[in-house]
Amino acid sequence: MTTTLTKQSLLGRPIDRIDGRRKVAGAAPYPSDFDLPGQAHAALVSSTIANGRITRIDRSAAEAAPGVLLVLTRDNAPAVADPPMSNLGSTMRWYFRDDRILHYGQHIGIVVAGTRAQAQAAARLVEVEYAAEEPVLDLDDPRATIEENPYGLDSSRGDAAAALDAADVTVDSTYTIGAEINSPMGLFTTVASWQGGRLVVHDTTQFPSMVRASLAAMFGVPERDVRVLIPFLGGGFGAGLRLWSHTVLTTMAARELDRPVKLVLTRPQMFSSTGHRAASRQRMRLGATQDGRLVAIDHDAVAANGIGDMLPAPIEMGTPMAYACDNVATHERRAHLNIAFTGFMRAPGSVELHFALESALDELAGKLGIDPVELRLRNYAEVHPESGKPWSSKALRECLTVGADRFGWSGRDPSPRSTRDGDLLVGQGMAEASFDFYAQPCTVRLSVDRGGNALVRTGATDIGTGTYTITAQLTADLLGIEVDQVRVELGDTDLPPAPQSGGSGLAGALGAAVKDAAAALGERLARLDGRPGETIASLLDRHGLDELSATGHSDLPAAAATTDLAVAGPFAATFAEVGVDEELGVVRVRRLVSVIDGGRLYNEKTARSQIIGGTVMGIGAALLEEAAYDPHTGRVANGTFGDYLMAVNADVPDLDITFVGGPDAFNPVGTKGLGEIGIVAVAPAIANAVHHATGRRIRDLPITLDKLL
Amino acid sequence: MSSTTAARSTEVTVELRVNGRTYPARLDSTTTLLDALRDELHLTGTKKGCDQGACGACTVLRDGKRIVSCLTLAAQCDGSEITTIEGLADDGVPHPVQEAFVRHDALQCGYCTAGQVMSAVALLREGRAHTDDEIREFMSGNLCRCAAYPNIVAAIREVADS
Ligand code: FES
Ligand code: FES
Repeated sequence: MTTTLTKQSLLGRPIDRIDGRRKVAGAAPYPSDFDLPGQAHAALVSSTIANGRITRIDRSAAEAAPGVLLVLTRDNAPAVADPPMSNLGSTMRWYFRDDRILHYGQHIGIVVAGTRAQAQAAARLVEVEYAAEEPVLDLDDPRATIEENPYGLDSSRGDAAAALDAADVTVDSTYTIGAEINSPMGLFTTVASWQGGRLVVHDTTQFPSMVRASLAAMFGVPERDVRVLIPFLGGGFGAGLRLWSHTVLTTMAARELDRPVKLVLTRPQMFSSTGHRAASRQRMRLGATQDGRLVAIDHDAVAANGIGDMLPAPIEMGTPMAYACDNVATHERRAHLNIAFTGFMRAPGSVELHFALESALDELAGKLGIDPVELRLRNYAEVHPESGKPWSSKALRECLTVGADRFGWSGRDPSPRSTRDGDLLVGQGMAEASFDFYAQPCTVRLSVDRGGNALVRTGATDIGTGTYTITAQLTADLLGIEVDQVRVELGDTDLPPAPQSGGSGLAGALGAAVKDAAAALGERLARLDGRPGETIASLLDRHGLDELSATGHSDLPAAAATTDLAVAGPFAATFAEVGVDEELGVVRVRRLVSVIDGGRLYNEKTARSQIIGGTVMGIGAALLEEAAYDPHTGRVANGTFGDYLMAVNADVPDLDITFVGGPDAFNPVGTKGLGEIGIVAVAPAIANAVHHATGRRIRDLPITLDKLL
Repeated sequence: MSSTTAARSTEVTVELRVNGRTYPARLDSTTTLLDALRDELHLTGTKKGCDQGACGACTVLRDGKRIVSCLTLAAQCDGSEITTIEGLADDGVPHPVQEAFVRHDALQCGYCTAGQVMSAVALLREGRAHTDDEIREFMSGNLCRCAAYPNIVAAIREVADS
């Protein structure tokens, strides 16, 4: 095709988000903005204990309340089949299958009424009696059932135990992280309607194809008769990667009533209904030679899991790949507790691993008297430590050196408590990060029309990462047209199948599929004998064609299984400076430098926003965020936005974000995902900076003032 | 859970003036301004993030001052002039704050954005956007889990400087 290479590449350019105008006008529709004709409103009845059994439910008062149309509990709910396993290795435990209460806030029933206020009022009238038992809430509780290696993350290379014994210097430290709640701003919503046997659901999800497959299986209808719509979601950060019970209950109520039903979770319900980052405890043992070569890494992690629930917390997954070290062992354990079901939260597993590993390396650097950046460079994995294959891309060295440069690391006095600024102790710390490659197959349909405009359609979601924008940008680039000539349709399972927005895997898979579609379209256009410099519009016009379409597909996991490269995810290094008020125990991040290898960028502006978002969430994880459980009821005692502290505008320091590295050699577009890498090194960099400032090593997140006083 | 409790409520007639239009409405006296805007007036640009006054997603202007509409009863607004995100544009031309938000990528998922923009407009009207620190402080009642915070500051600063 002659039309494609006439312009300078659009890829990477910091163009404005194409859906930005709609969003600033309040015109982008989120699930809670949809109202259907004849719709009824639902409210949930939730358990007020965390462990035990339901002995009696009395629906009568609720059923008699004004406006009430339906009250469904396990006593009168129709049976449903179990949902299938998703490609993330999770499935939903259907609460109504028995009378057990597994956690506080477990859904016991759904009440549907003419108005939301009526439904909420009636929900409080459902009487539930329990046989309650003391909840098991703590990882250390001896009553907790421990599963060993449930997701197959135990691994061993060389002989870590022997190497630890023989090492010149060792570190043996234990790190804990409290439960964190994803807390996207958008309240999760389901609007379900059965339209002549076909189910249409507006549902807050990052994974519409999974919701479709799950609802189809549970309600016994073919997948083609389920349509999930989600053009915009108010964030997810992983909360939208599982099927949650409120979606099933709303769908069930709509079927029973044969009218549309809408449910919007309340903010307190979001704390127990849509997952969280499981609390974890990790023992990290490192062995090294006197000159700072790692000879052993032994990583033992236990993370919380809901009782009867299945969901990997891939904490040990990245350990064997992090550094060049001959002897590495990982041990995976899960403790089943009376907590709300866990989920994935931004960089799941990677955040936990790097807090432990990068803190332990800082401890090792101190023991050896080697600079922390230098220690990481000495153990740099030039090739993949397991397979020995060369990386498809790895600019982590540049992340470290460029970061050190921009931060002014070389002027740092390594001894703790060496720097003061007025009343504040000042400390500087750093950490590096990697996030494993992940992808799933993706299909897109690409059309061009006689007006010279293109349409890209796929069932993916844009959770705020910029999927609409980068898809348009890549398509325009490949077709040699302007970005505003490309329309992108997402968020609809009637469109070609796409994977979840998650695991930093969508942008790479979608881009590869768009490229495949553009190549197929190019072939079809070439057969029309384009003239030099001729536009697509005139080509179609000359042949009397209204439009031309092609389907594109990518299967990166299959390609990754056969390539000679070690397929890399993104890398990062973060440098942080903190000020600690010793009297008050208050830590403030003063400035933060992050350098990211994200491969080739689609859009420098939205890419930067992803890193800013991850960084700020990392500051919250380091200093603020933790769900506190009431020991008797198992309730998240701080389960409101007033009580669960997250970073606000005033918490954000001066951020310096730089991208390094070139196109990835494996991905057809050269990109790597950016949604998660930004958060990974932030908490350990801050914890290391706190140690440098105060001499105190805090191994428990968040670093709150009580731990420093 | 919700601010609209079932406690003895009565119907009231209110005249809501929103974005220059008058909407007569019969509402439960406990209906919040936020629910009235979204459910009765179908102005869904204003968002509910917590319904407890803690996130700022529902921020609108009442007589030019910012309020959280989830903690304001609709009945209290009788006679007030309410401005929501839908009323900011002037004859189809976006407000400079809206333009600046797009240029600076001061949004990601966009769910908090209406509230951020309304707070920013109020801040600028009050002439309190002298320094970045002042902007950060004033904007800290508006949570953004996507953390577009630095870009929000940059967008507001640009409008303040122009
Ligand atoms: S919805 Fe009003 S402040 Fe959160
Ligand atoms: S843009 Fe997503 S919460 Fe602010």
